[in-house]
Amino acid sequence: MSSDETPRPSETNAEETTPAPRRWVCTPPIDIFESEEGLVLRADLPGVAADQLDLQVQDNKLTLFGRVGTAVPEGARLVHQEYHVGDFLRSFILSDEVDHERISARLNNGVLEVVLPKAEKPEPRRIEVRTE
Amino acid sequence: MPVFRWGSPIEAFRDLEREVDRLLQSMNATFEGLRIGRPYPAINVYELDEEFLLTAELPGTRVEDLELSVGGRVLTMRGVRQDADEIDPDRYRRSERPRGEWERSLPLPDRVEEEKMYAELIHGVLKLHLPKAPSERPRHIPVTDASTGDGSTAIPTSSPANSAEPSDEQ
Repeated sequence: MSSDETPRPSETNAEETTPAPRRWVCTPPIDIFESEEGLVLRADLPGVAADQLDLQVQDNKLTLFGRVGTAVPEGARLVHQEYHVGDFLRSFILSDEVDHERISARLNNGVLEVVLPKAEKPEPRRIEVRTE
Repeated sequence: MPVFRWGSPIEAFRDLEREVDRLLQSMNATFEGLRIGRPYPAINVYELDEEFLLTAELPGTRVEDLELSVGGRVLTMRGVRQDADEIDPDRYRRSERPRGEWERSLPLPDRVEEEKMYAELIHGVLKLHLPKAPSERPRHIPVTDASTGDGSTAIPTSSPANSAEPSDEQ
């Protein structure tokens, strides 16, 4: 997917040193809605702790990558499976309207909320005209 | 005018597929009674030496939004998924996350001790511990020293004050 386009330094290092077992990558479902200051994005990332979430904006692309912690102790044997446990990856192209500097995010109960404030339009500037 | 565009056409197509998938899933959840869909939430069950462990992904669910009950060897999970704030539906540009009330019941195997079940909710993942009944586990047999005379209460444990429960003496 888009992981090859957006290199994550911490990720590539980890993969080079230890050949990690194959992990599933899931696309998290999201909501996007308008708020007074701009747009709000919410994504379901169950099992992701705040320090395991990588959120970055590069150029106009917002990428979220959440690494899922292991919920089960070692040695647990899977006897019934209805879903795959996997890391979450999804990226978006932001419009120029979004003020990249003021993007903020929080993660609660496995739900990420990213606030994408609208860039303030510069005030029309009056140019003084002088006469000699 | 779309504010969010997809990075590449192929990715956009894949995403569409996933979205259709999800849509079908959510429809299935609605028509669960008609037996055509997958029940919500999806669960995984793991087996360990001492217990079974049931996990379910319930992002955005707080402890107070979740109710677990057990009776007649049936586990019932009930919950509601909602955001803390009410968003006017007109303000949505994209809405994929499932919301609303759900309920799911599961039969429990006989080997589970209902009284000792407990659950945790961590980062939106439910972990329900189902301890195995003692008959399923290697049993510890207390040995008393019969030579002291009244060996009935002399159960050798590290904390003799509180450990002599009636069930241990039989």
